Amino acid sequence: MNVGTRKILDRSFTAVGIGSIVVMGIALLIVIVPIVFNGMGSVFFTGTIEHRNMLYNEFGKGNSDVLARENAAAGAYRREIYSMLSKFEAELESMEPEKQQELRAQYGPVRTALQALFGPLPGDPEAVLTRYKYGQTRWDKAQEKLHEFLYEAKWDYSDPNAMAKEYFVSRAAGFEGTSLVKLFPYVEKNLDRLLRPEFTVYWGFLTDSSVDSHIFGGIWPEIQGTFFLAVGAMLFAFPLGVIAAVYFTEYAQDGFFTSMLRSANSTLAGVPSIVFGLFGLAFFINTLKVSESKSVLAGSLTLAIMILPTIIRAAEEAILSVPKTYKEASLSLGSTKWNTIMTVILPAALPGILTGGVISLGRAAGETAPIIFTAAVSVGSAIGLADVFSSPTPALSWNIYNLASEHEAAAEIRHVQYGMVLALVGIVLLLNLSAILLRARISKKLKG
Amino acid sequence: MRAEEVSKAGGRSGAFIISARKRKLQRAVQKAGESALLLIASFVAIVVLFIFYFVAVDAVPYFQLRGFSEFFTSSSWYPADEPGEFGALAIIYGSLMVTLGSTLLSVPMGIAAAVCLSDILPFSVRQYAKPVIEMLAAIPSVAFGFFALVIFAPLLQTQGGPILMWAWWVLAAPFLLLAIIVVSDLLTAKIEDQNKRQQLSMVLLAVFGIGALAFLYWVGSVLRGLEIITGTNALNVSIILSFMALPTIVSVSEDALQAVGRELREGSYALGATRAETLVKTILPAASSGILAAVILGVMRALGETMVVWMASGNSSHIPEPWFNYLEAVRTLTATIAGDMGEADQVTGSARYHVLFAMGLLLLVISFFSNLISERIVVRQRKILSGQ
Amino acid sequence: MQMTADGRETSSKEPVKTATRDIYLPSERKKISGGGTPHVQAKDFSIYYGEFEAVKKVNADILSKYVTAIIGPSGCGKSTFLRAINRMNDLISSCRTTGALLFDGEDIYGKFTDEVLLRKKIGMVFQKPNPFPKSIFDNIAYGPRLHGMNDRKQLAEVVERSLRKAALWDEVSDRLDRNALGLSGGQQQRLCVARALAVEPEILLLDEPTSALDPKATAKIEDLIQELRGSYTIMIVTHNMQQASRVSDYTMFFYEGVLVEYAPTAQLFTNPKDRMTEDYITGRFS
Repeated sequence: MNVGTRKILDRSFTAVGIGSIVVMGIALLIVIVPIVFNGMGSVFFTGTIEHRNMLYNEFGKGNSDVLARENAAAGAYRREIYSMLSKFEAELESMEPEKQQELRAQYGPVRTALQALFGPLPGDPEAVLTRYKYGQTRWDKAQEKLHEFLYEAKWDYSDPNAMAKEYFVSRAAGFEGTSLVKLFPYVEKNLDRLLRPEFTVYWGFLTDSSVDSHIFGGIWPEIQGTFFLAVGAMLFAFPLGVIAAVYFTEYAQDGFFTSMLRSANSTLAGVPSIVFGLFGLAFFINTLKVSESKSVLAGSLTLAIMILPTIIRAAEEAILSVPKTYKEASLSLGSTKWNTIMTVILPAALPGILTGGVISLGRAAGETAPIIFTAAVSVGSAIGLADVFSSPTPALSWNIYNLASEHEAAAEIRHVQYGMVLALVGIVLLLNLSAILLRARISKKLKG
Repeated sequence: MRAEEVSKAGGRSGAFIISARKRKLQRAVQKAGESALLLIASFVAIVVLFIFYFVAVDAVPYFQLRGFSEFFTSSSWYPADEPGEFGALAIIYGSLMVTLGSTLLSVPMGIAAAVCLSDILPFSVRQYAKPVIEMLAAIPSVAFGFFALVIFAPLLQTQGGPILMWAWWVLAAPFLLLAIIVVSDLLTAKIEDQNKRQQLSMVLLAVFGIGALAFLYWVGSVLRGLEIITGTNALNVSIILSFMALPTIVSVSEDALQAVGRELREGSYALGATRAETLVKTILPAASSGILAAVILGVMRALGETMVVWMASGNSSHIPEPWFNYLEAVRTLTATIAGDMGEADQVTGSARYHVLFAMGLLLLVISFFSNLISERIVVRQRKILSGQ
Repeated sequence: MQMTADGRETSSKEPVKTATRDIYLPSERKKISGGGTPHVQAKDFSIYYGEFEAVKKVNADILSKYVTAIIGPSGCGKSTFLRAINRMNDLISSCRTTGALLFDGEDIYGKFTDEVLLRKKIGMVFQKPNPFPKSIFDNIAYGPRLHGMNDRKQLAEVVERSLRKAALWDEVSDRLDRNALGLSGGQQQRLCVARALAVEPEILLLDEPTSALDPKATAKIEDLIQELRGSYTIMIVTHNMQQASRVSDYTMFFYEGVLVEYAPTAQLFTNPKDRMTEDYITGRFS
């Protein structure tokens, strides 16, 4: 090969390397940016009067006088709708049966769409589920619902080889010649007066409990559950891990037994997380019976086993990086080995050990598979500290899965899911970031 | 110290000599302390044994009830039927498929990134690249799963063809160009006359270039025309899993590359090798076993991952047709355990409950042996590099 | 101002007449034919690590086919200077140079210099033996293969020739396919010399080649340098002043980045002109 070609190969090799780093950075951005952007939307959004009504009724938040005034203003416009509806219903009665049936079939969806927008209509029975008590609480959702109200979605199956195409038909056209035809432009034109959108900052998303399985309200039970589980896991794993690391670095003699122990450590680190879940179920719950069924305790124990190898490794590394001279100096002053470890080595290694602990805390908070069978429930309220030994808890990681995959109205509450993901990712990344900063400070200190 | 005082202490020299009994006691305390430490340190080993035991104890009844052959050879999975069918072949295949897919994507990228971190980027840039990788590793798997299900799957379903086409162009075009340059260079290497050689290689470049363009365009248009029935499929999961496996592969291979040392690099540069030649011919072979260990760990990460596959693989228990069709939905071992336990733990003791433990045991055994192998490999590399 | 080996100062453009002059050599050394022209020339050549000036404005001509030793206390810039000659310092990103360093009249740090081709011409052997973890044969054939030699027979010839030149052939000819890491330290170092010779360089840079070896292996390497003298321009950095006086024709003395004295070895060791050189060679500081 001539030198030119060799140089081109060299350059392209460099480009491939830098390219893959860039791809990783872009991947991180592609995952993080929509989560952050949409997740912020669960706290900062344009809320409607329905949102403020919901807050006042369910959480007692807000000013009743202001709200009453607003409701009166919006009500004036809504009454117009109600009168159009009753006028049309009267009109229906007087029609010939065939026409009446046809129009009734079209009228049903219109009423449903109006209910979705503005809550129960006059004459509706008292709603059982909270979600039917209110109209659209978010302006962006309200606009989607407005579209559903104005247009009917239909599918075009004309080309049998391709997938069917969706197209929209104006609902107003179906009511041509009746009084209802005026309703559609009225709602379209006056939507903001009907719903009174207002920029809202809803910090309650983080501190309120949920209403009607996350249709309204916040995610506090999940945040608290995640906190209990992660901290509980650390309570078990951290002391154990540090002591084991002290043994490995200061006491263990090279030999078959020690290498077995080390091997066990890396085996444990490689066990798939779902298998930890199986083990937690089979051992902690079914065999030890630490609790009747799922509980925070069982989940914490399972998570503790999972993060133990990480803590041991981090602590070992931190202890090994303590300069040997410290230890020698202490021993030469007549200190015992144990004393030296407690007063010289561990304090010097503490920042490093803490870094490992913080990262493990993040891992315990983010992990889902081990708590599915041992600790997590999908709906529930926040539990008290005394209940951790007996009762399961909702947790961020599990509820993200649950809301996104199994919730009956998954597509309606994307903002809640995004908010949860952002909360979880935020917690984990903040923990990691603090670990990275902590480590940078240590290395600076060591450099002097 | 005066002589009388020395003799008072029983002939031995005074201050640091203590009585035999005291010494014995001290020793005993020390031993006891060390044993306590040892006990705690062996806790991990005990846990590993317990995991094996308790998963196996609940897995064995399945095989007693149903035997081995159905689990490994049948692909009809109807655990809820009466009587149930427990053919896990398609599920095992699904696990292998997404693992292979993610490995194919993550290994070349991971090694390239590791090489870049260890040999190409200057230190100042590396400082910022490493946290990016750590962040990628820290993002919880359920967040990746959410991304795969809510953002990536719809995108793949509606824009899959164009996405695949662009990916093909971006990935394949530079490599084909390089291959053409190298091939025409090699083909003309025998010609002595400088001018003639250059002319001929230009002609070859043009001919090959047109052929390559046609090939690129053809494959691109085929990819563009693909109809993707569902966005929650093996391809989606493979891509996401590859990003989850990347940090492991990058950091472990980077360690292996760093361990090779500066001397070998200098030796190769001093002989007139370019950086790429140094890396490909000397450093990568010398670090190969460490990199292999990294790959095994990355593969295990993908195989053991639960949430992403559960949320975004489509959970359909069948072997795709044709067998390499990554655009179909699949189901994996981990997702099956996670998904079916919710119903199966009501019927503790039935085959339906125990079969999930059998799957767990399968995963556990695979991860155990992978770990063992990767550990052996690393030890061997250390020995080779130290010249034994 | 240019410093030549006999200490006379010439202007940089003037051809160096003094170079071909007969110089004092120990009687047992063979005469060198055709050598003595300036092979590497440093002109106001400085090397910086970031802000730190490691080598300061060196002016010197290194004469072809002779052995030039570089001595000086550790940290004096002698290794840095040696590594600058085949641009090994490029691997350190904070390193930059000013002034000119010429090889056969061409600037080593010039805009159009290809460091790959340069290093093919200027081989290097390092402090610690660094054979690749490959077979002995593949180690030697590594360079020729890079530069386009693929014929197995040709390669075998090159391998044998290089190993013979490095006086290693008799010891390893029956196990060319064994891993090079199985050789002893001294053998490994001679293997590294053979590996460098296989790409047929004009200059051989030796960076403290014997510092990791025992006295017996050291003697073998020194013998080897005597063998190669006259065929290659050799530069050797050494801590060991006896070694410098044993193997070299010319000696450079560096102190804190400055080239203090550059003279025929015999003259430098018996009659140093500079006070500092005298202090160093008499062991008053190190």
